[in-house]
Amino acid sequence: MRAQRSELENHIIDEYRAGYIGRREFMRRGAVVGMSLPLVGFLASACGTEEKGGSSADGEESNKAAVKKGGVFKTGIQIPGSDLDPLKVNNQGSLGVLAQSAEFLIFSDRDLKPVPRLAESWEPNDDGSQWTFKIRQGVKYHDGTPMTSEDVAATFNLHADPDNGSNALSAFTGVLSKGGAQATDETTVVFELDAPNGNFPFNTSSDNYNLVILPKGFDPTTWPKNFQGTGPWRLDKYSPNQGVTFTPNPDYWDKTRSVLPERHEMTFYEKEAAGILGIQGGEVDVLSQFSAINGKPLLTDPNISVIELRAAQHRQLHMRTDKEPFTDKRVRQAVALLLNRDNIVKGLLEEKSDYGNDSPFAPVYRTTDKTVAQRKQDVEKAKALLAEAGKENFSVELRTWENFEMPQYAALVQNDLKAAGIDVKLNITDAGSYYGDAVFGKSPWLDSTFGITEYGHRGVPNVYLGAPLKSDGTWNSSHFKNKAYDALNTEYVAALDLQTQRTAAKKIQEMLLDEVPIIFSYFYFYLSALKPTIAGVNVSAMGHVDVTQGGVKA
Amino acid sequence: MIFLAAQVLPGDVARRILGPFADQASVDALSKELGTDRSLIAQYWGWISSFVTGDLGQSPAQSRPVSDIVVDAIVASGKLALLAFIIVVPLAIAGGVVAAMNEGSLRDRLISVGGLSATAIPEFVWAVLFILVFSLGLGLFPTTAQFPEGAGIFTQIKYLLLPALCLVCVLFGYIARMARAGTIEALEADYTRTAVLKGLAQRTVIRRHVLRNSLLPTIAVVATQAGYLIGGLVIIELIFNYQGIGLALARAATQKDIPVLQSGILIIGVVYLVATLIADILYSVLNPRVRLEAAE
Amino acid sequence: MSVPGQPAPAGATEIGTASPAVVGARSDDSRVATKERLALLMRSKSFLAGAVVVGFFVLCAIFGELIVKDPLASDPINDLIAPSADSWLGTDKLGRDVFSRVIVGARDILIVAPLATILATVLGTALGLITGYFRGVVDDVLSRIIEAFLALPVIIMGLLVAVALGPSKTTLILTIGILFAPLISRTVRAAVLTERELEYVSAARLRNERTPYILFGEILPNVMGPIIVEFTVRLGYAIFTAAGLSFLGFGIPAPSPDWGLQVSEHYSLISGGFWWPVLFPSLAIAALVIGVNLIADGVASAFER
Repeated sequence: MRAQRSELENHIIDEYRAGYIGRREFMRRGAVVGMSLPLVGFLASACGTEEKGGSSADGEESNKAAVKKGGVFKTGIQIPGSDLDPLKVNNQGSLGVLAQSAEFLIFSDRDLKPVPRLAESWEPNDDGSQWTFKIRQGVKYHDGTPMTSEDVAATFNLHADPDNGSNALSAFTGVLSKGGAQATDETTVVFELDAPNGNFPFNTSSDNYNLVILPKGFDPTTWPKNFQGTGPWRLDKYSPNQGVTFTPNPDYWDKTRSVLPERHEMTFYEKEAAGILGIQGGEVDVLSQFSAINGKPLLTDPNISVIELRAAQHRQLHMRTDKEPFTDKRVRQAVALLLNRDNIVKGLLEEKSDYGNDSPFAPVYRTTDKTVAQRKQDVEKAKALLAEAGKENFSVELRTWENFEMPQYAALVQNDLKAAGIDVKLNITDAGSYYGDAVFGKSPWLDSTFGITEYGHRGVPNVYLGAPLKSDGTWNSSHFKNKAYDALNTEYVAALDLQTQRTAAKKIQEMLLDEVPIIFSYFYFYLSALKPTIAGVNVSAMGHVDVTQGGVKA
Repeated sequence: MIFLAAQVLPGDVARRILGPFADQASVDALSKELGTDRSLIAQYWGWISSFVTGDLGQSPAQSRPVSDIVVDAIVASGKLALLAFIIVVPLAIAGGVVAAMNEGSLRDRLISVGGLSATAIPEFVWAVLFILVFSLGLGLFPTTAQFPEGAGIFTQIKYLLLPALCLVCVLFGYIARMARAGTIEALEADYTRTAVLKGLAQRTVIRRHVLRNSLLPTIAVVATQAGYLIGGLVIIELIFNYQGIGLALARAATQKDIPVLQSGILIIGVVYLVATLIADILYSVLNPRVRLEAAE
Repeated sequence: MSVPGQPAPAGATEIGTASPAVVGARSDDSRVATKERLALLMRSKSFLAGAVVVGFFVLCAIFGELIVKDPLASDPINDLIAPSADSWLGTDKLGRDVFSRVIVGARDILIVAPLATILATVLGTALGLITGYFRGVVDDVLSRIIEAFLALPVIIMGLLVAVALGPSKTTLILTIGILFAPLISRTVRAAVLTERELEYVSAARLRNERTPYILFGEILPNVMGPIIVEFTVRLGYAIFTAAGLSFLGFGIPAPSPDWGLQVSEHYSLISGGFWWPVLFPSLAIAALVIGVNLIADGVASAFER
């Protein structure tokens, strides 16, 4: 059997048997490179032992109970920030709605595993510069027309085309260009990439949340009227800014996920507080996401069940490497050492978080090298570094915006830095004022000396390693221009197997700990709240809410 | 005027829509589509010329006609305000009259001081208090005011009652005080004494003369409160998750959605002027002196 | 500005009524009237009660920081602890002491609201004097503009300005100040309309006094009454509005221990039984506004006669 596998796949099998990766990771890695699931499962049971991992909370167990069919399922979700146009969707509310009626090639689930949806299988060529996807047959859109490989190619080219102004364009820059997706026959789509990429399947998955597969004649002016897609839910009614209702799609292709509830009603909440009060008042069955600090009542309420997913969502505290006082890396290291990460993880986030070690490599990623020591608070060392660098008792403005726990994080940073005589002035505004025009020179996000920016979850760290840290990165708030880093980034992206990725990761982690252009102090869990009488809800750390198997407990 | 003020707002509309992480090329493409890359004058002219013909244009942030957005929002807020007024006006006037009739008594004190204190407590405090007690505690009312589509009138009232009560609390004191002052003045006025001397029962006197005159300052107050009310609406709509004009304007401000801002504020201004006008009319209708003159 | 010398006429008990007969005596009348009014004020129960309350908060604002724990000192692991001996009013979501934050929170609001009201009063008075005195075209044009401003909802405008210029105490003062001015100008205008018909004004004109002198030297002192009343009334509203804008996040920015801000940061927690970070700041706002209103009441009655 081994003889038939590609070199890459053999490497993965070897890693598994040698114990480098656990069973879970083996299944995940195998899936990423396209090994079929039954095969992976067979190999896993043949070769290895079970591994403990993931998250566990009471909500988990409760959520697994059997449910009664039928009923109206109510979900509370953040208000969509824009139209429900797949090209424009850009916040959790809108992506959650989008994914009800439309689907992706691959679904990135809560274990960061790629699950085949509209793609049945996929595989790379030898160096990962070309990926071939087999498209599922027999799938129809809600209006009855069949979904074909041409639709798939058209959808990808639509988003990769700069003239269309898609939100997903930044995910494709340097990865896939317009025309890079081609339907070679009815069942196959080939992606010609701009550069070898070992994690490309995640670009085609729900991680890249705009990429729902659309009919090739997609028209953005008519689409919002019917939300045309292949998904398990059909649009019933959309009330902008208020909510949206869906009814089941009786011709849905995936019979293992036939829709149980009769209706799905989603309510939009303008402010997080309203959602928290809403679920406690019993107005919704599920609240798709809440933050630990504002949602403490939900964590302590015996009438609410909480699901926790370990995730990679985080805040980047950037320091301009090209501006005083942060030009000297010793100053940046000092700031990183002054932060009391225990306070943050245990107090601010109520322990619903992993520790961050100043790089995008979150503990939840298997590619993260866990041998790199976790940075801890050390006020004395910080003071010494500041003295060495000759920068003591300076004043600096910290900018961020009003969102979840970010203002409180800023307050904690201000407090922690006081211990070394650094005077931090807070400037907390709304999102619009913080992001400005989102280009260098016109955006506090990118121009500020010291700022906090939010980053949502992704199944792989590629996005975080790229735009915010590369010399030519469009999201590079710290103006970090380091050729060595760029080279390491390319090394990581091109790596096709876990071991090579991990080696590159370790080098990046160590370099970033030393240079520390950005402080990553935490990666917080994704929290959802459920009524304890409800089960069968499948949430992802991205914000997708799948209630097809949901309902009142039987 | 509003156009210029809004232009000062930082930020580019297309960028706001797509968010900070979208590629710049996408943003440029959208700008072109929206016409926001035209010069200021071109934009203003375009807007004004359509406005007078009744076409309020498209909201760039929401790709819906502005008229839809603004009208929906105003109707929603209108319902809330109407419910609040229906409750507070009779209640406050009755309270003011009773207080005046029993001037100096405990009843008077309670109503006056109570009303004053209620007004001093900000709307958001009332909102939080009501939610805590009536929604979460007693489970009588929903925590959000957004009633489901097609709900009947009673369901709508059930959803809107708590936010309306917040408005009532804030308005009660002031209106009651005006009513009380007006009643006291009327009670001491010549024509009342004349009426009593003529032998009319007190009740008739109240009804015919006193009430009418205490209504006058009250109406003036209510009309001027209309403008202030809009501000309070923003807070209440935010807490109760209700898509009214306050929330719509707040959102438009942060999204730099100028058409919605301009139309919204203009329409509020119109509503305010109309309210003042109605108040003036009612004033002259109810003012006996004016009517007497007319009769002569 | 007042003419010294002439003894108060025998009818000193007639407080505030205009004695058209003698020009100079009028100023004296005002001085005497002021003394009488102050005496009245001191006797007014509501004024005294209000003064006590407001005085307490003023003390908090000035000396607060010296006697309480640091309101910005966070201790997130000990967040949301109920009121206890160690922390009298409990701790907030970042472990900061609520009692300190309530006390020190008085400072920002007692800087912003009075300054804003003073600005509004100054502007409003100037506008009122001008429109009331000149009438005619000037009045018409200015009044229309003023009315236009009146139609603008304060909170929405506050929001716009905060978004444009960034939320800060200064923008808040400017916004509230400018937007409250029209209301005050209307009251002043009404008073001026009455005053201008009085003989002392025509007398001044006959003496060829310059207009600014007539406005500010002659008329202004005599409309001070209504102006002061307006000031105290508007002050209450200014506090209210500032708290509201801070609640929305467009007023006094974090991490200020401003009361409105504290309520907005914590109200989602009340359903978890964490009532103290919301209750105490709310009580503080209410107490301060009631205090100011009581003062306003007292002042209004003192000037009514």
